[in-house]
Amino acid sequence: MSKFISPRTERPILRWTLIAITFAFMAVMLFAPLIIVFFEALRNGAVAAVESLGNPEAAAAIKLTLIVAACAVPLNAVFGVAAAWFITKFDFRGKAFLITLIDLPFSISPVVAGLCIVLTFGSATMVGGWLTDNGYPIVFALPGIILASMFVTFPFVARELIPVMIEQGRAEEEAALTLGASGWRVFFTVTLPNIRWALLYGVLLCNARAMGEFGAVAIVSGKIRGQTATMPITIEMLYQEYLSIAAFSLAAVLALLALVTLLLKTALELRFADQLAATHRA
Amino acid sequence: MGRPLVHRSPIPGLGISAGITLTMLSIVVILPIGALLLKGASAGFVTLWSEVNTPRIWGSLWLSFRLSFLAALFNLVFGVLLAWVLVRYHFVGRRILDAAVDLPFALPTAVAGIALTALYAPNGAFGSIAKELGFKIAYTPLGIFLALVFVGLPFVTRTVQPVIAEIEAEVEEVSATLGASRLYTIIHVILPMLTPAALTGFALSLARAVGEYGSVIFIAGNIPFKTEIAPLLIVIKLEEFNYVGATAIGLTMLAISFVMLLVINAIQILSRRRIGYV
Repeated sequence: MSKFISPRTERPILRWTLIAITFAFMAVMLFAPLIIVFFEALRNGAVAAVESLGNPEAAAAIKLTLIVAACAVPLNAVFGVAAAWFITKFDFRGKAFLITLIDLPFSISPVVAGLCIVLTFGSATMVGGWLTDNGYPIVFALPGIILASMFVTFPFVARELIPVMIEQGRAEEEAALTLGASGWRVFFTVTLPNIRWALLYGVLLCNARAMGEFGAVAIVSGKIRGQTATMPITIEMLYQEYLSIAAFSLAAVLALLALVTLLLKTALELRFADQLAATHRA
Repeated sequence: MGRPLVHRSPIPGLGISAGITLTMLSIVVILPIGALLLKGASAGFVTLWSEVNTPRIWGSLWLSFRLSFLAALFNLVFGVLLAWVLVRYHFVGRRILDAAVDLPFALPTAVAGIALTALYAPNGAFGSIAKELGFKIAYTPLGIFLALVFVGLPFVTRTVQPVIAEIEAEVEEVSATLGASRLYTIIHVILPMLTPAALTGFALSLARAVGEYGSVIFIAGNIPFKTEIAPLLIVIKLEEFNYVGATAIGLTMLAISFVMLLVINAIQILSRRRIGYV
């Protein structure tokens, strides 16, 4: 008796070959780079790795990266919610164009993004020159780094919320308004509970990218040691000074952040698939 | 005058949401991009052209686009394969592999850059094997290609996966009932259904690769005329305070990105017309 093979799958030998190729491909392309980060960081033992993070330069970089993320991520979250509300609750002309503009940062090289910010707010420009003269330099200072981080992560939250809010429609909000709720009350008691997981998902991706941004920040930061060098910038500086353990230890911290992000993201996708855009974007 | 700019709606918050959206969009995106365009316009086409029209810059643009295209092509093939295996086959570790596909999105580019260099440098784990075989990976175009494959890896898989998941069982059953071999069904029935999404992923992967900086500069070695990518030349021009030169390269790349964005949109419109979903 010959075994029945479903018309929806391949012969077992082909199937297992493809699975083996997938494992091999991902091991070489994805897992090997991840493992080598920890391997290189721990080359001289865990103590050396942890000690290298304690030096003032690395500590300042970690602090700066946390400050940048703490400013850029909430600002982009507020933007994302406002933009999603504006786009999904109202009908207006030019909506498609507005969405294209919001998506624009995704198709622009981070280096070009950094260049744009230097050309807008650099000390040689009108706006930047005036601000610098009055004691508020943007480029080669914290505000420029925050702006660059915001630019590259700008669409994350809005992109996550817009499809979810389109799907949920306006009926619930309209019902709440009819019952006499105020605008803010409608937002906090009706809309926000509906979009909270999608919001968290967007914030998670936004945060990972903001903390790890290199190209745009490299241009606007000026790479001043201990002052405008974020974690990725400090990794580059340490690496080029052949301080391998220190560079890879700092890289390992960011790699751990990436792993935690992936873990939380996967958990959200499994638990709240119906409330996220990513899992049914199709 | 025909349609009003904004239709009346009973929902409150128009002023505040539109205000926040347009203000922040202006400061973060429109003003900076406008400044780039303005800088280009004030320099004039002739000046911009003379800045871009050097062998070193053409060489870097050619290198960037050639390798990005090849990397996106590679990702197209493996992305579809990965999507197929992850959606259709059930095996131990599938969930972990599926989650790991997003690793290049989550891992900061500078981290990926030094990790890939450590692996593919002549004294690295994979680089030493290549050395035995008599060729180099890091500090050559091959190394840049591998870094671009890494950063563009998730795009095709993530655009194709939902499409595979939505293919109805009847489609393949009918094909088999009518006497088609499995290979014939895959080539003539399934792959055409995946094509629009796969091309979208390809374009996204290409766009990402062209602009990529962090993961490439470490492994590239940055040898003039050999392994210099276009974004690196912008950085070099800026370090020389040559803002016009940086603007010229930036605008060239932006123009190409813009064309690619148009192509992506055109593909999406076409594919939606041809089949009901994508």
